[in-house]
Amino acid sequence: MEEEHQDKEQSETVRCSEPQSHCSLDEPDSLQVANTISLENSSPVKLDCSTEKPCRSSSDTVKDIDSTNGPSEPEPEPEGPEGDGMSTRSSELSEVRTGEENGPSSQPQGTAYEEDQPENVSDSASTDNTLEDSSEFVVTVLARGSLEDQGEGPSSALSEASSPVQAQAPSHRDEDVTAESWRRHRKHVFVLSEAGKPIYSRYGNEEALSSTMGVMMALVSFVQSGDNTIRSIYSDEHTVVFMQQGPLVLVSVSCSRQSEQQLRSELLYVYNQIVSMLTQASINRIFERKKNYDLRRLLAGSEKILDGLLNLVDSDPSFLLSAVHCLPLASSLRDSLSQILQKAITPNLVFSILIAKNQLLTIVQEKTVIEDTRLEPADLHLLLNLIGASSAFQAGEIWTPICLPLFNPDCYFYAYISYLDPPECTVCLLLLSTDKEAFYAVADCKRKIDEGMRTQNALRSIARAQSYSASQVGVSDLRHFMYKPFDVPDNHRQLTQFTSPEMEAPYSSEEERMRLLDLYRYMHSRIHSSSRPLKLIYHVAERETLLAWVTSKFELYTCFSPLVTKASAINAITKLLRWIKKEEDRLFIRNPPKYSTTPNPSKGSRGGKGGSDRQDTTDNGFLSLL
Amino acid sequence: MLMISPRMATGVQDKQYTPSLLSFFIYNPKFGPREGEEEKKILFYHPSEVEKNEKIRNVGLCEAIVQFTRTFCPSKPAKSLHTQKNRQFFYEPEEHFWIVMVVRNPMVEKPNREGKPPTVEYQEEEILDTVYGAVLQQCYSMYKLFNGTFGRAMEAGGVELLTQKLEKFFYRYLQTLHLHSCDLLDVFGGISFFPLDKMTYLKIQSFVNRVEESLRLIKYTAFLYNDQLIWSGLEQEDMRILYKYLTTSLFPRHSEPELAGRDSPLRPEVAGNLLHYGRFLTGPTNLKDPDAKFRFPRIFVSAGDGCEELHLIVYKAMSAAVCFMISASVELNREFCEQLDGLVGPQLTLLASDICEQYNINRRISGPDKEPQFKFIYFNHMNLAEKSTIHMRKTASVSLTSVHPDLMKILGDINCDFARVDEDEEIIVKAMTDYWVVGKKSDQRELYVILNQKNANLIEVNEEVKRLCATQFNNIFFLD
Repeated sequence: MEEEHQDKEQSETVRCSEPQSHCSLDEPDSLQVANTISLENSSPVKLDCSTEKPCRSSSDTVKDIDSTNGPSEPEPEPEGPEGDGMSTRSSELSEVRTGEENGPSSQPQGTAYEEDQPENVSDSASTDNTLEDSSEFVVTVLARGSLEDQGEGPSSALSEASSPVQAQAPSHRDEDVTAESWRRHRKHVFVLSEAGKPIYSRYGNEEALSSTMGVMMALVSFVQSGDNTIRSIYSDEHTVVFMQQGPLVLVSVSCSRQSEQQLRSELLYVYNQIVSMLTQASINRIFERKKNYDLRRLLAGSEKILDGLLNLVDSDPSFLLSAVHCLPLASSLRDSLSQILQKAITPNLVFSILIAKNQLLTIVQEKTVIEDTRLEPADLHLLLNLIGASSAFQAGEIWTPICLPLFNPDCYFYAYISYLDPPECTVCLLLLSTDKEAFYAVADCKRKIDEGMRTQNALRSIARAQSYSASQVGVSDLRHFMYKPFDVPDNHRQLTQFTSPEMEAPYSSEEERMRLLDLYRYMHSRIHSSSRPLKLIYHVAERETLLAWVTSKFELYTCFSPLVTKASAINAITKLLRWIKKEEDRLFIRNPPKYSTTPNPSKGSRGGKGGSDRQDTTDNGFLSLL
Repeated sequence: MLMISPRMATGVQDKQYTPSLLSFFIYNPKFGPREGEEEKKILFYHPSEVEKNEKIRNVGLCEAIVQFTRTFCPSKPAKSLHTQKNRQFFYEPEEHFWIVMVVRNPMVEKPNREGKPPTVEYQEEEILDTVYGAVLQQCYSMYKLFNGTFGRAMEAGGVELLTQKLEKFFYRYLQTLHLHSCDLLDVFGGISFFPLDKMTYLKIQSFVNRVEESLRLIKYTAFLYNDQLIWSGLEQEDMRILYKYLTTSLFPRHSEPELAGRDSPLRPEVAGNLLHYGRFLTGPTNLKDPDAKFRFPRIFVSAGDGCEELHLIVYKAMSAAVCFMISASVELNREFCEQLDGLVGPQLTLLASDICEQYNINRRISGPDKEPQFKFIYFNHMNLAEKSTIHMRKTASVSLTSVHPDLMKILGDINCDFARVDEDEEIIVKAMTDYWVVGKKSDQRELYVILNQKNANLIEVNEEVKRLCATQFNNIFFLD
């Protein structure tokens, strides 16, 4: 009972971080990335390149949103001519900036470092290096920032980070939408509002596509007028999938031959990524107020995040499997990393996540918040994409509001993102708090974690950790596999994970990798078909033999050389399952630890329960099926 | 038009509705390009009682869908539209002429507490695009068989003639569409061949040669036994649709009287002619009737670049049926029909009993029928040969399959998977009901097997299918 009560309280805490109307920047600040950087080991310099938009976004954005926030607000102003709001905006910005500077920030970060350093005598040299390196970074970022200041005016950390990329390859946004090359893209994704206004297009400029998107909306509403819902259109080459989510319409035009179900789930990722920046509540509110609102104003600068998401969705099977890929790690190392995270806590901290090479190292979560929910893999994917999509995060510390749509689509968490190993920037720390004002407290946790890592020399161990190759499994004919254990009922709070080796020859080229993934997608769509699911698929083709198998305990996709016989394939799978069983402590996070940051924290931290009796992969009698 | 089949398992009052035809229309966007003239685009619309504006709206949606998909690939526009309640299939058989078929998704109606209307749940993933796309193309092929192309009617009598022809043909044809029983066989649109020893086959060939020699008017001949094809002089595509017409429409219509009096097929009016059992299935029912009409259905088959109009004479003796096709420019009269009857009747009667005898001997040799452990469908794209032990009987009205519809749909799924890549493949799946389904594609041939042994494992299934291939198909399939 007690726990239940706490739980409620906690969820209230979570709720209260919903965007509040008194703070004018609350909603747009999904993009507001307060880039705090310690310069020259001294007091923090805040590079607040937060809320500003690239120039094309209109200035009255902020006002518009403001008015959508609270019931007491005046009616939204009509969309004014662009430009004149810039001043309003910057004044608001500066307000916030001073507000935050006067806040709990007085404690200089550099000092914290200095104070800590003597304790870490053993490691002081490397620390020095780190500090030097980080200040170098600051300089470059500042330089870049100031250049942009002179040039195009302020830009967000996110769009700024993308600019070098843009310089290398011409942006997809400038594509000629009537050209054959535009048509030939494997997968187009469009987002538009119910009024038919373009919000996002993966390729080509939204303006140039506004008539195409208008047709899409017309099709949606025409079918709707007949008390029906449009789902998809099929031609010999393309599958067009329509999805409506609240006031947004998402359309995928794909020649990837994926199933409608899969394309739909990808569109849902896109929608959720938008929600993660704006929250569902505010999207709905904005369009309730103003049907033809141009949402691009709020999403300006974040196209790169959506672009990155779509690239990831195409190339990373995590999305297909709705599971998280962990970096294989000796369980003792993983445990000690978890312990480091467990020790560095502050009130209202709910998740501490350590990521390396875009794979999960460990995750520690607040006990009561998560009592009967868990972090959904999809939410974690969105976070990973956010981090991966912007190299700006490499430049120091980021404090940004972020919504986890599956956890709660209407409220913000506040994410602290910082790399632990600049300048390599492979190990990233992500701390999520429910408290908007907790930046300095959370940043302090990071320093504790830094320190813990240094003491244990953990970074070096992490750097040595590697994914594995199929040949290491030691099963002949096995080229590649994906294995996803299912939660057993008494352990349903476990984060869904999967393991998979690196793709090697003959899947070393980009093209071949995609081909194998496409084969997995096809197997996945058949075995999980909504109307005719299957238990097993054995597919022999000229270039490989594939087997997909779903039981109550796991889901397995394997790829063999084409000449494998059925008997040896079955033999290989038996061996593979045995190998996974043997290695599971290394391949998976077995006992996700927790901590307590509620006002009356229980002493110490408990490890998650259950889990040890999870999958029993080899001797469960399923082999008789084969 | 609703087909209602209560399903026991889903509750006492749940009603299951099978897919059904909602509408069927043909339009040409070039015929009413200006605003206010949209109605002129519509050449045929079923059901005809639909209000004019509604027709225009529905045609407009199809045009918009097709146009929209051209944005992404100008040469490959939309083929189907999926919505919550129905599916629409688009087919452009001749430039600018579009045929659209709208099929309502199957649905389950669940009764609610008193007063409230029942909840309807549409089953959106039950209909296979490949199956209904093929049915739509069949509609056009059948129209073309009896009327020639749309373009031909336009040349002959403009829009007015075309709409008349469409109305006349589809009014009846659509009533024979049984959308709930369509399956993989509709995708193949194959021809079932009658298995025959060489000797009997040569007898038939020489019979055909003799008749064509004596009756020089005959341009093409096709020979069938037991609704299965033995010999055809037509192009494959023409034979495919003619075969479909014969086996699903013409033969079933005439099978009733035959079944009634198989042992004494001599009906009173032909009792005078004791020499043979032959009779016309098209044209005159009784040659002795002084008022008999000598009009035969006309069909259009391909000839060179264009097409050729022919009289279709179908003549049957016992289980043997022969189609004679004669140029439509020739006037057929009583004299010709009597000549044909006199020549073909006795020979065909003899031939039919020969074939029957041979068939029975072969059956005896192959041993008594025992329930096999598997059922299969075979199709060869090269000669359109089709064989199914799943379908007990396929007629116009109903296709009786001996397996669960879901398994039939899995066969359809595997068929789609084969179409993804143009290479030899084998797919073995285990359904949720524990049935094993095996699909093999080798060169132009496809084989689908459903195995009854639920407890078999993958290796046993493989052995079983290997045995089947060895006995029935001479090891055509080499994979593994």
